[in-house]
Amino acid sequence: MDWILFLELAANGAVTGLLYAMVAISIVLIFKSSAVPNLAQGALVMVGAYAVLAFSDWLGLPMWLAIPAAMVFMFGLGIGIERHALRRLAGQPIIMILMMTLGLDIFLRGITLAAFGGSARRMDLGISDDPLFVGQILMSRVHLTGAAVALMVFAALVLFFRTRRGIRLRAISNDYVASWSVGIGVEQGVALSWALAAVISTIAGVFWGAVQGVDQSLSLLLLKSLTVAVLGGLDSLPGAIVAGILLGVLESVVSGYLDPLVGGGSRELVVAVTLILTVLIRPHGLFGDRSVERI
Amino acid sequence: MTTASAEPLLSLRNVEVVYDNVSLAVSGVSLDVPEGQLIALLGANGAGKSTTLRSISGLLQAARGKVTRGEIRYAGQLVNTLSPQDRVKLGIVQVLEGRHVFEQLTTNENLEAACPVEMSRAEMRSALDRAYTFFPRLAERRNATSGYLSGGEQQMLAIARALMTRPRMLMLDEPSLGLSPMLTTEIFSIIRRINREEGISVLLVEQNAFAALDLVSHGYLIESGRVVMHDTATAMKNNPDIQEFYLGGHGVNFRDIKHYRRRKRWLT
Amino acid sequence: MFYRLSGVRHFSYTGDRSLYRIPFERNAALALLAAAILAPWIIGELTLTSLVQPWLIWTSAALGLNLVVGWAGQLHLGYAAVMGVGAYAGTHAARSGVPWEIAIVLAGFASMVIGSVFSIAALRVKGLYLALTTLAMQFVIDWSIVHLSVVSGGALASLRAPDMSLLGFEINGTAGLYYVALAWCVLVTIFMMNLRRSALGRALMAVREKDYAAEIIGVRSFVFKLVAFAASSFIAGVSGAVLIATYYHIVTPDQFSTQVSIQVLAMVIVGGLGSIIGTYLGTALILIMPGLVAALFHGATELFDLRIGVETLAHLPNAAYGALIMGCLLWEPLGLGRLYHNMRSYLIAWPFGYLKK
Repeated sequence: MDWILFLELAANGAVTGLLYAMVAISIVLIFKSSAVPNLAQGALVMVGAYAVLAFSDWLGLPMWLAIPAAMVFMFGLGIGIERHALRRLAGQPIIMILMMTLGLDIFLRGITLAAFGGSARRMDLGISDDPLFVGQILMSRVHLTGAAVALMVFAALVLFFRTRRGIRLRAISNDYVASWSVGIGVEQGVALSWALAAVISTIAGVFWGAVQGVDQSLSLLLLKSLTVAVLGGLDSLPGAIVAGILLGVLESVVSGYLDPLVGGGSRELVVAVTLILTVLIRPHGLFGDRSVERI
Repeated sequence: MTTASAEPLLSLRNVEVVYDNVSLAVSGVSLDVPEGQLIALLGANGAGKSTTLRSISGLLQAARGKVTRGEIRYAGQLVNTLSPQDRVKLGIVQVLEGRHVFEQLTTNENLEAACPVEMSRAEMRSALDRAYTFFPRLAERRNATSGYLSGGEQQMLAIARALMTRPRMLMLDEPSLGLSPMLTTEIFSIIRRINREEGISVLLVEQNAFAALDLVSHGYLIESGRVVMHDTATAMKNNPDIQEFYLGGHGVNFRDIKHYRRRKRWLT
Repeated sequence: MFYRLSGVRHFSYTGDRSLYRIPFERNAALALLAAAILAPWIIGELTLTSLVQPWLIWTSAALGLNLVVGWAGQLHLGYAAVMGVGAYAGTHAARSGVPWEIAIVLAGFASMVIGSVFSIAALRVKGLYLALTTLAMQFVIDWSIVHLSVVSGGALASLRAPDMSLLGFEINGTAGLYYVALAWCVLVTIFMMNLRRSALGRALMAVREKDYAAEIIGVRSFVFKLVAFAASSFIAGVSGAVLIATYYHIVTPDQFSTQVSIQVLAMVIVGGLGSIIGTYLGTALILIMPGLVAALFHGATELFDLRIGVETLAHLPNAAYGALIMGCLLWEPLGLGRLYHNMRSYLIAWPFGYLKK
């Protein structure tokens, strides 16, 4: 067995996994506050990346200005989505909400591609492409920067959920009607979490765009980030980080050895199987709250 | 009745509630809750008690319901169209039926969540202390996950949580549901203390008419979405119809009763 | 007005449990059936093959999904994969010389076996987690179909289905294929209508409302979840095979992708959970809408001489399709079936304002 290859696959997997975790954190954020599993998260990442491109290409803003501008735009978009699409579904069965986010996913992808066309575009962050050797392991600078940013986003959110506003968000996710009954602004809380998730998606979109180019395939991040979120426990932020690293390593190592055997494409399979096994063996994930159910 | 002339804190005039645009649940309920009083709303299952409470607290929209007619006035202000949040700001708070606590939060976090955002840290601490003096049992389990509290403790937590919003009017939907008679007595005595010490007006919805009429000064009886009786608690307790239909026969020997079903007199 | 429940009183349990409790509805259903049978003479051939026939097939498939989602309350995001299994099984059987009528049944059973695997997930989890598992299973099945060349005939390949024949008769005309689709759709509809008044249907609804409560009163929820998945998978498999045999004539993996699963789910939800008439309406809306929008935009560009790029034109119907799903959910979350039901309640009570429940 080639240990260098293994280590290289594992290290790069872990860093990629942190990038998955950044998308997963958005899913967790929305789920934590509103118990809505956002299946349009992949589309949001894609819209975020295109928004950055729109500000830099169409308006000619430099990248350091285009990214914050896109984040502001996405903050507004997040609030808009919540207000116009999901608010009226509050309290409806989960299947309606799932369907709404699926419809949103189709809509966002369609409208973005209608505006920008289907061909892939480059996202240039100005981070050098030169290979970086850590010991003997080859790593990518863009990936490493993205991973560091993911950890910073995570730390900021953990602090937020300790504040009173954060507790209220958690209360909202527990029981809508009870939150209403004690005067918690359910709508505002949920809108805030959508806005934050959309902003984080933008950051994720920037790094993923830099890694693989900006096109429709960004929305395929959904399955991976969803798997990360579920593996971590859907309502656990630390879970998302740990699970992200775990899935990244697993996917990279397994497909590194399996791809030559089955002729490629085993990454998706690894992810799907991980999702199935997680749900069947440990549905509440690594760190999720076991749901408290009294009969 | 001593001070009937003062304007009541809450008054409903001819309120009609329709669910799903087609089902009429409450038709023409009128009632008054004078400031600082304890009032009970009695009635059988499905009579429209909970619907009436929800129309006051604004929680109807969560159940696809709508107030289609009538006025709900609180402190002289028409509140029909206000959001639940605004009504809580005005001081109306409802304790939901069936103990809706935030199950994954601890007791303390449950109470903190109900604090208005504009409340300062010091104010919040004193509000917490006040809630815990009413419910010493909760203080002991301050850091327990509330989903694991016992049924009685959850009911107490729900009431304590409502107190955190600094209400002027507290509405309780069946606080005795599923509790032992001992616990019911305990909770009712706490409700009385809250009413006396804090001067909070209370509107109590109960199936357990016997316990409720001991607690309150006035009662309303609601049936099929209409108020059919309104009187002082003592008068209601002595009313033969109430005794028969809601309090249960007091040592009635069923052999002696004539074998026809007595009609509820107000249903003519 | 048309319904007039006031004159209809049921004095026996049989009467109360009858399929149509109001004569008007029975007559309306019979009239619709007659219209469907006469359809080849009434409507043009193009409309028949490109609109009505796919509508009927997708409706039968959507009814099968409604059985599991609407009646049994189990979320299913991998329905198209199950249909795909049936389509491939049916096509392979027919290609190897098995007569179509047997191949179709085989397709149903193949789907039933694979589809029942989904219910293992339903045994463990429910709600959101079940939805995610079934979604992942869809990926696994898709992946297997594409990567197993025995099934798909190699990557990017498509298999031709042999011509349809039933009971020794060649079925090749438009009308013939239409009648096969119609027969299957009517069969599924009758099954679903009777489900409501059968013990199975009541058990499924009990499981949907609260599975552990159902368990306590003696409804074995696992068994019924399994039955629900098996029955719906059978319907899916046969619908998949019928779709290939009478409509597509060629089977490829992307006919049954995740997007298609979402599309069938959209039909069910836009139509209304647990509503049969709603499923018909929802399927019609979801099927017809994208083409309509594409035509609309195309017409608009020509009419106003707009310079809309080809790519924009290609993606706008998709956006409209997403918007349609969102719009329907916002407008009436309980679906078109609910709208029909509300209208019916209104007409029954008319001229009085409300139906007192």
